[in-house]
Amino acid sequence: MKDLEPTDHQMSEVKENTYWKSLSELAQNKEYQKFTEREFPENATELTDGVSRRGFLRVMGASIALAGLAACRRPVQKILPYSNQPEDVVAGNPLFYATAMPFQGNLIGLVAENHEGRPTKLEGNTLHPASHGRTNIFNQAAILELYDPDRSRSPLKNGTQVSIEDFAEFAASHFSNTNQRVAFISEANSSPTYQNLKNQVLNKFNNASWVTYEPFGEDNAIEGNRIAFGRRLRTLYNFDNADVIVSLNDDFMGSHHPNGIDYARQVALRRKLNDTNDTMNRIYAVEDSFTPTGSFADHRLRLKASELEGFTYALASALSGRISGLSTFSGYSNEFSDHQWISTLADELIANAGRSALTVGFEHNPKLHAVVSAINVALGNVGSTVSYLEVPHIDNQDTHQALQNVVSQMKAGTIDTVVMVGTNPVFTAAADLDFENALSNVDTVVNLSSYVDETSKKAHWHVNKAHFLEAWGDGYSFAGARSVIQPQIQPLHKGLSEIEFLSTILTGNLGNGYELVQQTFNGYYSSGFEKRWRKILHDGIDTTDNFNAVSVSLASSFNSAMNAAKENLPNTSGIEVVLRPDPTLYDGRYANLGWLQELPDPMTKITWDNVAVMSPTTAESLGVSNEDVVEINSNGKSIKIAAWLQPGHVDNSITLTVGYGREGIGRVANSYIDYTAGGVDTYPLRATSSTLFTDAQVSKTGEQYEIACVQDHHSLEGRDMYRQTTLEKYKENPEFATFKSVHGYGVPGMEEGHKLFGEAPISLFDEQEFPDKISYPEYEPQWGMAIDLNSCFGCGVCVIACQAENNIPVIGKKEVKRGREMHWIRNDRYFVGDDVNEPQAVHQPIPCMHCELAPCEQVCPVAATTHSDDGINQMTYNRCIGTRYCANNCPYKVRRFNFFNYPKEYLTTGDDPDIIQMAMNPEVTVRFRGVMEKCTYCVQRINRAKIETKIKTGSPKPEDKTVQTACQQACPTEAITFGDLTDKDSVVMQAKSNNRNYQMLEELNTRPRTSYLAKVTNPNPALA
Amino acid sequence: MAQIFPKWTNQVPRKILIGIIVLLNVVVFGIWYFFSPEFTDVGYAPEQPVPYSHKLHVDQLGLDCQYCHTDVFESKVANIPATQTCMNCHSQIQTQSEDLALVRQSWETGEAIEWIKVHNLPDYAYFNHSAHVNVGVGCESCHGRVDKMEVVYQEEPLSMGWCLDCHREPEKYVRPVEEVTTMGYQVENQLELGKELVDKKNIHAPTYCQGCHY
Amino acid sequence: MSKYEYVPEPALVKGNHDFASLTRLVTDVNLRPTPKGWYVAMIGANALLLVLLVAIGYLFWEGTGIWGLNNPVGWGWAIINFVWWVGIGHAGTLISAILFLFRQDWRTAINRFAEAMTIFAVMCAMIFPGIHVGRIWVIYWVFPIPNQMDIWPNFNSPLLWDVFAVSTYFTVSFLFWYVGLVPDLATIRDRATDKIRKVVYGIFSLGWTGSNRHWWNYEKSYMILAGLATPLVLSVHTIVSFDFAVSVIPGWHTTIFPPYFVAGAIFSGFAMVLTLMIVARKIYGMKDIMTDDHMEKMNIIILVTGSMVGFAYMMEFFVAWYSGVEYEKAIFLLRATGPYAWAYWTMMICNVLSPQFFWSKRLRRHVGFTFFISIVVNIGMWFERFVITVTSLATDYLPSSWDYYSPTIWDVLTYVGTFGLFFTMFLLFLRFLPMVAVAEIKAVLPQADPHNYDENYDYQEPVEEVPESQARLY
Repeated sequence: MKDLEPTDHQMSEVKENTYWKSLSELAQNKEYQKFTEREFPENATELTDGVSRRGFLRVMGASIALAGLAACRRPVQKILPYSNQPEDVVAGNPLFYATAMPFQGNLIGLVAENHEGRPTKLEGNTLHPASHGRTNIFNQAAILELYDPDRSRSPLKNGTQVSIEDFAEFAASHFSNTNQRVAFISEANSSPTYQNLKNQVLNKFNNASWVTYEPFGEDNAIEGNRIAFGRRLRTLYNFDNADVIVSLNDDFMGSHHPNGIDYARQVALRRKLNDTNDTMNRIYAVEDSFTPTGSFADHRLRLKASELEGFTYALASALSGRISGLSTFSGYSNEFSDHQWISTLADELIANAGRSALTVGFEHNPKLHAVVSAINVALGNVGSTVSYLEVPHIDNQDTHQALQNVVSQMKAGTIDTVVMVGTNPVFTAAADLDFENALSNVDTVVNLSSYVDETSKKAHWHVNKAHFLEAWGDGYSFAGARSVIQPQIQPLHKGLSEIEFLSTILTGNLGNGYELVQQTFNGYYSSGFEKRWRKILHDGIDTTDNFNAVSVSLASSFNSAMNAAKENLPNTSGIEVVLRPDPTLYDGRYANLGWLQELPDPMTKITWDNVAVMSPTTAESLGVSNEDVVEINSNGKSIKIAAWLQPGHVDNSITLTVGYGREGIGRVANSYIDYTAGGVDTYPLRATSSTLFTDAQVSKTGEQYEIACVQDHHSLEGRDMYRQTTLEKYKENPEFATFKSVHGYGVPGMEEGHKLFGEAPISLFDEQEFPDKISYPEYEPQWGMAIDLNSCFGCGVCVIACQAENNIPVIGKKEVKRGREMHWIRNDRYFVGDDVNEPQAVHQPIPCMHCELAPCEQVCPVAATTHSDDGINQMTYNRCIGTRYCANNCPYKVRRFNFFNYPKEYLTTGDDPDIIQMAMNPEVTVRFRGVMEKCTYCVQRINRAKIETKIKTGSPKPEDKTVQTACQQACPTEAITFGDLTDKDSVVMQAKSNNRNYQMLEELNTRPRTSYLAKVTNPNPALA
Repeated sequence: MAQIFPKWTNQVPRKILIGIIVLLNVVVFGIWYFFSPEFTDVGYAPEQPVPYSHKLHVDQLGLDCQYCHTDVFESKVANIPATQTCMNCHSQIQTQSEDLALVRQSWETGEAIEWIKVHNLPDYAYFNHSAHVNVGVGCESCHGRVDKMEVVYQEEPLSMGWCLDCHREPEKYVRPVEEVTTMGYQVENQLELGKELVDKKNIHAPTYCQGCHY
Repeated sequence: MSKYEYVPEPALVKGNHDFASLTRLVTDVNLRPTPKGWYVAMIGANALLLVLLVAIGYLFWEGTGIWGLNNPVGWGWAIINFVWWVGIGHAGTLISAILFLFRQDWRTAINRFAEAMTIFAVMCAMIFPGIHVGRIWVIYWVFPIPNQMDIWPNFNSPLLWDVFAVSTYFTVSFLFWYVGLVPDLATIRDRATDKIRKVVYGIFSLGWTGSNRHWWNYEKSYMILAGLATPLVLSVHTIVSFDFAVSVIPGWHTTIFPPYFVAGAIFSGFAMVLTLMIVARKIYGMKDIMTDDHMEKMNIIILVTGSMVGFAYMMEFFVAWYSGVEYEKAIFLLRATGPYAWAYWTMMICNVLSPQFFWSKRLRRHVGFTFFISIVVNIGMWFERFVITVTSLATDYLPSSWDYYSPTIWDVLTYVGTFGLFFTMFLLFLRFLPMVAVAEIKAVLPQADPHNYDENYDYQEPVEEVPESQARLY
């Protein structure tokens, strides 16, 4: 590409400043500009593609398939009817079954859509308190995990394939010796069946030890409560009653929080504004790195993770004088004591005593949790906003400690057999434990896992784990709701579930999950088992509060612990490195799911990689900018990773996420040199002493590493796509979001329009002017959507739900880097405010606007995109010839083009595509190369509802709420409403009649059917 | 100067001109007809693994369509019957028939009989049987006189234009729902009756793209 | 002695030519055995043509993804090249049709030549709309052909207008060119000594005998075609400009485009004619016919149209500011100072600055300089299309979707390849067809002028002598 070098070269010259100076009239201080926009990426040339394209094909691997689109003229198609048709299966109609997904041992109730015995989509179970019919990104991606061709397909004995029966034989003989010293390491699991088996196992083996190990579990919180109250209890919040919420580095709304869906919902519902009389809760966030929760807060304070302890003690002491129960802290002071926030928070918490909630992140050490619990007790929040639960299945020991003990025993060679259930310590355990070597001292290592992961490779026996949609199970939600996990399909690879695995070890012959679970519930249901069993299978839940909330009081040990803690506060000199679970891959267990790899990080908008996130100031001091590779040394370990500038990140701190940089896990997870799933394994920096933050030496290497970020430009440029105000201002001027109040004049043409046809703006077109001038057929419903920006915190579940529902391909880092992402709904994230260090981050989901006067429709030469009678901007794939004119002419840039034959290319490379094809939604065409696609308002759901309603009632208009779009149904905070605009009582019409309602780019007179409800924040005047 | 060309060549340019115009038209109309399903697909009659005769079962024995295609009123597909359905009778009748060997085998092994699909729509066309039969579109309107077929074949083009004929003017084709499975249904006053039915059932057959393509 | 002095036009054909020598000068080129140099050039051209075919083949195989396109920028080099080539294709018909209607005799030296260029340029242009679509195999859906889907193309779409505009323009230009060729082909047929030439040229000269009736029909049809072609010259690029003007994208959505595009088209067209003419007349020794006077006249047109284009650029900025639309303002600021400023300023220098040199008569008549500028202008015009197409898309309404576009090697190869097609056709033209309209240029020789002036330039009534025999008829 010699020809182009001058081009790119000059680019980089111009880029630096001039570009943004030019826009300075759009009101921006220069310093800010440097960070609000990221340099435009320079595209690599197609020539270098040869390699990487293959890479990207591998990537496509676990993610796409060709469900339809017959290639040749008439392929001979066969119909295979049942030999003996099961009752209540009607071929062609999906069935819906309740089930539940375990995550860190906590269940989230789901409903699976099942087409002739193949689950294709998961939605929340409305009866389940942990879900309320909503889901998180992991729930949505579980379907892809089920059909992931890279999942382990058979047991391995020293790496060679054997049958599951062989394993049973081995178990029978090996575990007949009950005196051997056996250690069990298991991931958290709330299943009562599992607990029974566990107890039996521990009884059977005289020298058995059991460790429950989660790399990022809630153990610190529980241990904290032990310090505070002398008992290992779970902290459960109830934000419904919280007027003031203070999050100390706690992303409790985030997808990876075991109760995130419910928490997010509680918090957001307290911020719904139907009119100016409504009230809002107030959220304070103290955090080092930007999190969705932090971006949702009304006030955000940047604080190093290491300083949080001092900050909290200072807060405690500020409170100690005014409420009883914190006497330990009276008189205590440190560098934060006269921080403005301390006094403000103290006032707020006291003022709202009993209606406030203080939370702290799981990663922080137990002492911090203890203080927070103590404060909550002192504020009298217990019972209203917070409760402490007795959770039977939680071990009565500090699991971090327990793991260390086992490892040291292993090293000492005093352990004969290690059995690991679904956990991957070789990858996730703290580096200084050196778990891998410890394993080598053990004679027999048995491991159950879904993938042949780092641990499985070290195990003598690996057993492939059944997916939760393949096997029977049971368990409790975070808050204690009991459910049964109902399988949706026979195990694809004859895997074993945890309970089957344990019972095999126990009895020596393959366990039967169904019987095991039924036995357990036989125990619960003394009478009428059959009936109640059927009910729980139908509802997916029976009893909700199985953990009793206990009344707590400070234990004597608390004061001593605190006195010790107060004196030696942790502090990091220079730059500290913070290790966090990844927002999309969690601890790495979801690394092989293309959907999640390609889901942009909620805050950085980066796909396919992890980066060293740091504040602009820190970057300056290090002399690095985006994509510069830095070397990080800590605890004698060192990694190289690309730097990323994040406005609003605390200075002198670098946040890393884990789970990337895998080897030999699967074609998506594996890190390839060029462009495909990359990332760096950051676990080596993890130390037992300091799991969250450690001191580090950071240096610039001079290398560069390309990052695929889906958003190149992070400033609104003073434009009005996103509108917001504060609660007081809203009460003063409820119409603040209208075009007029934003710009000071009305929409051009609107006035003239009023004279001509009432409400409608002036227009060349007569048709499609609903609802002002009815020219749509009145028998058709008119679909519309409203998105409440006051509820969106950017979790991105809408994107994944859409991807799952609409067979959207995963295209790989190379293509994303090129700017060809395919997501039908994207989540724009802007930084607002003048101070680059204290920006506000706002999220704006953008699906197709379904304009009534759609620019795309006018310009298509073959009428492939047109308007339907029910007001949908239709995209007809099979008519599209791919001129891309519509995409050019779309002001919202929501159209997506199949530049390559993404699905087909996968088919020619996957080992057995059939498996992945099963993940596709049979109701949606898989798009071919060269066609445009975009959000359809889930027309397949609309049509299904219309037909069913027509048949049942004869009416062409489905009831309100019967049609839910995938994004709407998934959204935990109910930010998205959808429905029929001709029905004045429909939820969407109520939303649109809200005075915060506005249309994006209204002045273009495209008349979008998707509108937004402006954001309202509730800041504390004291901090203003 | 010597003549290079004979006299008749004077006419050639004119002829060529006319020839081209004719040719172009032939090409266009050729494509129009010969590339359309009406020409390519109609009459497709693949041999089925089991020589099941609709003529025998429907015409002579008088089975109703729904005896086998049970789900047509609830589902988007008119299901091919399970082997079970065949065995309802054939466990008594024709128990030894050669032709039924496959059926019996399927019944014993539980393996499916691999019927060959006759009426193929492209995968991007979402046709829903229940939506049609419930408003009185007769089986024969699309599948033809199945009761007269020894081997089932495609009688109608099933092309988009053909679908639109009915979607634009349903009154010409609809019938009372109870007559849906009737073969050879005929009324003189189809138009008035049709109009009544369209109003009664308030039929608004979609003619916009996403009625069928999504 | 009248008070007005009659200043005769400088002779259009220099050198002491009579009809016969002109005929020889032009047609000998076609009758002589092929020169070595021609083969060399032809091989070069074919090599490039091959590149084009390979690039297109790979495109068909892989899909439009091989180009540098991305989400905001759906149109890249393909469309730029299309507009650029169509623009170049404007000079020919303008010269032959409009200048013909305005009785500009000097056109006769270059019209044949320019028309040929036009046709080949339009050929190159028409490739791109054809191949840039995602599913080339169904491209015929843009033609209103009855089909089993009962569906027509969308007549609202400017792209569809393009299809009709460009194809019409091509057809008419081609007929115009061919009609003009007929008498000359006949001339070659008659001068040819070998059978093959006689037959082939004979076929294409449609039995032209040069009879009075033939000439009469010829003049009429030529006049009619000129009349038809004239509006087309304006319509084609107007409609091409609609592709942009009709959209809602800031930087595209402007009413100034039609005149501005047409001016630009003529601008680049004349530049291309000059580029080719200066080379051709040297190689084929046609200096007597394609004189420096011609060059100067064309340079003046370049100066005028260039300034019009420059004016349009200024107007765009003014209107952007005057409209008060923030997106409009932003896009123009971004063009001048943003990521694509390098392209913008290349355009400004090449298109607005460079023609201004032609205010000087000396430079207008300077062959080398003219040649240089003629190339600069076409580079500038390519960048104009780049600036319009790409910058507007790359940074439009929502800052979140802004992205940078840069082409891949395949974009480049496809563009370079089209020159292969262009030069291949042009070389064939030079070899086998008379590059100057012999019949027409004879008409501008002094010999063709009825001598109605005496040596003092006093007008003399011509005396009509009617033979007795015919007198009765009157």
